[in-house]
Amino acid sequence: MSNNYTKEDSGYTMTTVAEEAARCLLCHDAPCTKACPAGTDPARFIRSVRFRNIKGAAETIRENNALGAICARVCPTEKYCELACSRSGIDVPIDIGGIQRYVTDFEQQAGMKILEKGKANGLKIAIVGSGPAGLQSATTLLEKGYAVDIYEKNTKPGGYLTYGIPEYRLPQNIVDYEIKRITDLGATLHLNTAIGNDITMDQLKADYDAVILAVGASEAKMLPMFDNQANVETAVDFLARVKDAQGEVSEPDNVVVVGGGDVAMDVSTTLKRLGVKHVTDMVYEEFAEFRASKKELAGTQKAGVTIVDGYVPESMTGNEVTFKHRKIDAEMKIKADKVILAIGQQVNTDGLGITTKRGEVPFIGYQTQDPKVYVTGDIAHGDKTVVWAVRKGKEVAEEIDKTLMGGRQND
Amino acid sequence: MINKDLGIDFLGVHFENPFCLSSSPVDNCYEMCAKAFDEGWGGVVFKTIGPAHFKIDEVSPRFDELTKEGTPFVGFKNMEQIAEHPLQENLDDLTKLKKNYPNKIVIASIMGTNEDDWVELARLVTEAGADMIEMNLSCPQMTSHAMGSDVGTNPKLVKKYCEAVKRGSDLPMMAKMTPNITDMVPAAKAAMDGGADGIATINTVKSVANLDLDKKVALPIVNGKSSISGFSGKAVKPIALRFIQQLRVAAGMEQLPISGIGGIETWEDAVEFILLGSTTLQVTTAVMQYGYRIVEDMKNGLMHYMEEQGVDHLSDLVGIANKNILPAEDLDRDYKVYPKIDWDKCIGCGRCFISCFDGAHQAITWDEKTRRPSVDYSKCVGCQLCNLVCPVGAISTGKIEMKPGRQGNVEDIDIESVRLTH
Repeated sequence: MSNNYTKEDSGYTMTTVAEEAARCLLCHDAPCTKACPAGTDPARFIRSVRFRNIKGAAETIRENNALGAICARVCPTEKYCELACSRSGIDVPIDIGGIQRYVTDFEQQAGMKILEKGKANGLKIAIVGSGPAGLQSATTLLEKGYAVDIYEKNTKPGGYLTYGIPEYRLPQNIVDYEIKRITDLGATLHLNTAIGNDITMDQLKADYDAVILAVGASEAKMLPMFDNQANVETAVDFLARVKDAQGEVSEPDNVVVVGGGDVAMDVSTTLKRLGVKHVTDMVYEEFAEFRASKKELAGTQKAGVTIVDGYVPESMTGNEVTFKHRKIDAEMKIKADKVILAIGQQVNTDGLGITTKRGEVPFIGYQTQDPKVYVTGDIAHGDKTVVWAVRKGKEVAEEIDKTLMGGRQND
Repeated sequence: MINKDLGIDFLGVHFENPFCLSSSPVDNCYEMCAKAFDEGWGGVVFKTIGPAHFKIDEVSPRFDELTKEGTPFVGFKNMEQIAEHPLQENLDDLTKLKKNYPNKIVIASIMGTNEDDWVELARLVTEAGADMIEMNLSCPQMTSHAMGSDVGTNPKLVKKYCEAVKRGSDLPMMAKMTPNITDMVPAAKAAMDGGADGIATINTVKSVANLDLDKKVALPIVNGKSSISGFSGKAVKPIALRFIQQLRVAAGMEQLPISGIGGIETWEDAVEFILLGSTTLQVTTAVMQYGYRIVEDMKNGLMHYMEEQGVDHLSDLVGIANKNILPAEDLDRDYKVYPKIDWDKCIGCGRCFISCFDGAHQAITWDEKTRRPSVDYSKCVGCQLCNLVCPVGAISTGKIEMKPGRQGNVEDIDIESVRLTH
């Protein structure tokens, strides 16, 4: 099945990746590497590409980041490594994400198996949630010799990677391949298993040496004015539905999107790729304070989405939504066939025995008051990006190892 | 991360890996060599040590680079001579290096002005604890004509000085040869006759790289004038490989032990030198441009290559490509191979058309409307220039055809290369 929704932009060839790597200044004490939250070490892998050692580059990426091929595609690099890039002093930063994609695609094509399981230490960890943080913590724990079970309430693993990010930006086969590496390494996935319904926290705590909650913010937020309105869908539901159908869906001609983050950009661009004629994205923030990454915004604008900044929804009557500008005296009424809400997501902690405040646990670190229970991913303190999920996944695994093994090497 | 043994024996000395710094500005003191060892180099050929009576006096500035389009350091020109530090300081550094890095290989490069110098220097570096000696018979920018490449092009002097070094030391010794000579074989034979255990080559190629067009002076400008001096880096790699090949196939020198030098900066370069008969490798220019850290990717890439090739001992690769380089008269001239164009890749730039018309045999025609080339098989000679100039790898080797009246099976003809076809 191939359509505009499933088509990923083409990546580099060996010739063009070499040209891009040749732009790298090979800095001393490289700022890009210091700026990567996940410690993927871009300076090291770009240098390997520069010196034609693509396999070595793949080792650097994979050993530092279990989701290297995913981060290559979805990381807002402009906020991290590319923001730090010294090349900006000449012209524009190195396309670090693009180089990383070339290397991880090569790794996949060459069938490289880089991750290695540690020698078993007899300890078992349960991870609740198979999103990026859960997957990275599973990998780090497996490398250290732990046995790992991952519990996922949905039918497919991957969390937001599988259900949220559109196919043209993150092909499902890439997600599946990354997850397969981790199950090949020894993680056991328990799908369709919700904590509280299918198994209790008490059971997990009894069966495992530690439990990691990596549930993320998987539920869409709603505004009362849109509640129970016909023709309103949440971004979470929309993106999951389109991805599951691989773009084979039928949408009306006139859709309004509410929201200004990367999710709103994904929804708007997806609509255009599905062939929707009129896509209007109404954004709370003004352009100067935009939350979406520049790359996503540019892609959305290029796709032909009408973006109106500074407006807040006031009411919905029938198929007409009224927006008011936040700062000036202005009102807009739009009649739309459909409204999609991308106004944020929230955490559901039912049955987990923890509380969150504004989507985060109210403490810094990973171990909860129950010493057997840890949190990671979006519900832990810190940025809510995939690359931060990788970082938090590594850190929670390190913390557990320190607690259970006292930092001892298991050999 | 892959981990394979890169250990190899050369002249009876075990190297943990074949990568050494060549005798040059990159290993001029203890601290430099120590850092290089820490970053993974297997050995150093410490910057050439001369006799106490020969005073080194350097010019400033002393380097120049050849560029092409946006690429810096295509080649590198250098006017620096041998070590400027006092003799005793150099000897002390050798001792300290060996003491602190007993598993790394410390090679003393030496250069005398006469037989007595060579004997004495050989004795001193042996006492200092060096593992091996390299005789510098090849530096092209010495201020004395009794030293450097003027000696290396004279087989009689080469033999005499090799004998002198052997009188001063029983360490394994390699003679470093100059490429500024038509045929390196007589000089190398003279060295072996004089007692050398192996050959290191190439040293730098005499050069003038660029001129200042306003001042009409070559670069670098040394108070209004300049000199011919040694050229190194990627641009000299083909010259180095050619000399190494010729040494390895010369009658009586088929198993000649060689330390290969000349433009090595990637693991692929390293493999090429090994396949043509180098047991150890020496690097300077890429280190001057990028630092000691380049050894990481050379080692790792070499390990991956060995793994792909199913080779566990690096020595199994040494010289195995020599037999595949033949005199031009011995090559198969009975067929030609046409280019094959991948229309999914072609972007319609027309570079193949230009190069074929202006540089080859006018065998590509150009459709102005569709902006696409096509091959006229009646004119194509199978040179594959189009294949090399295509910027997107759309042209590869295609149909093979026997020349009229020639015998042979096209199925058996072997011309594929992943490197030729991108």
